[in-house]
Amino acid sequence: MAEAHAEEHHGHHVTSNRVLNTTFLQLFAAMVITILAARAPIDGPALFPGFKDFFLKWEYAWGATNAIALGIAAFKAVQVIRFFMGVQYASGLIKLYAVMGFVGFTWLYILFWDYVGRPWEPVRGWETVPGTALPRDPDSDAGVPYKLYPGKEEGASAEMSHE
Amino acid sequence: MAAHGAAIDPNEPVVYEQYETIEQQQETYLVGMWSFLVTEVMMFGALFLVYSLYRWKFRGEFFMFHEELSWQWGGLNTMNLLFSSFLMAKAVQATQLKRAKAQMWYLAGTIVCAFIFLIIKAIEWIPKFEHHLVPTASFHWPPHEPHGSGGGSPEHAKIFYSLYFTMTGLHGLHVVIGIIAITILMVMTKLKAKAITDYIPTEMVGLYWHFVDLVWIFLYPLFYLIPR
Repeated sequence: MAEAHAEEHHGHHVTSNRVLNTTFLQLFAAMVITILAARAPIDGPALFPGFKDFFLKWEYAWGATNAIALGIAAFKAVQVIRFFMGVQYASGLIKLYAVMGFVGFTWLYILFWDYVGRPWEPVRGWETVPGTALPRDPDSDAGVPYKLYPGKEEGASAEMSHE
Repeated sequence: MAAHGAAIDPNEPVVYEQYETIEQQQETYLVGMWSFLVTEVMMFGALFLVYSLYRWKFRGEFFMFHEELSWQWGGLNTMNLLFSSFLMAKAVQATQLKRAKAQMWYLAGTIVCAFIFLIIKAIEWIPKFEHHLVPTASFHWPPHEPHGSGGGSPEHAKIFYSLYFTMTGLHGLHVVIGIIAITILMVMTKLKAKAITDYIPTEMVGLYWHFVDLVWIFLYPLFYLIPR
């Protein structure tokens, strides 16, 4: 009875209808919660009296609503990977690939330490021009971008390429 | 290419000589597919990282920029993709249980959902071209008839829309590739091609399609549901 239970079929696992249907309903419910969580602080008064004031007074509302929306997205992703992609029933090697792919992705965020930590110990020339990622000219207080070839006039780089 | 056993049943998968068992062979195919998906994670991961850096840097302004996007259309497309993923999972199940007719119907349903996704995407994109929100020389911020406050710096708005069009465009390209892959799978299954003797091709196309769904699961809250 493949309809009722997950079973082994010719040596491979067949995910049951019950598991697939439940996963889909979970994803659908999570989707509705995501929209409500994201829209609640704006459209809150229509839904729950006083909700908007409560949220806007809360200092960390911005971070909290982000965390809720992305937390639910992560839950949805995990359910898709586990049941739709069948990793829940796969071999250890495939589980390793699935986990490492997404763990590796989170490791990219180590780069944030550079951006977050740069103001902690300012280094001459490393400061950025406000509002951009361009390095600031250390000899200027006006916040102009750093010139790669100081002293060269306009068109100097074109001349350099001919040399 | 010799198979184990004396008689070869054309309807049964062939165990090639470098493998001990059919399970080992099937796992090898799936590990190969997962390796490919990991490279996809790396490609989209870099874009998500760039997005995160700018969102963190211009977090107040990104809210104003995202007001031009329709969370309703985006939400509908998310539901549509989740449903297509469900249909694809059912297609894999039907293939494993050797229900050829059901497999074809589920795959066809997945393709229909993919086309609906692209149509909704076109409904979203075309007005943005008309309102000069595409980051080219004619980019203009604030829009002439803004849906939101229209505030924020034009340079930063250009960054937001560059990320929006790059990431949703690359995702849309993956949807188109998915449609082509599913169509080829359906044709080869119908023609009983030699390469398709078991559920593995459907499973691999399915893994790709679920990955396309996964990317959109994160794109939707990041672009359409930015909190104030």
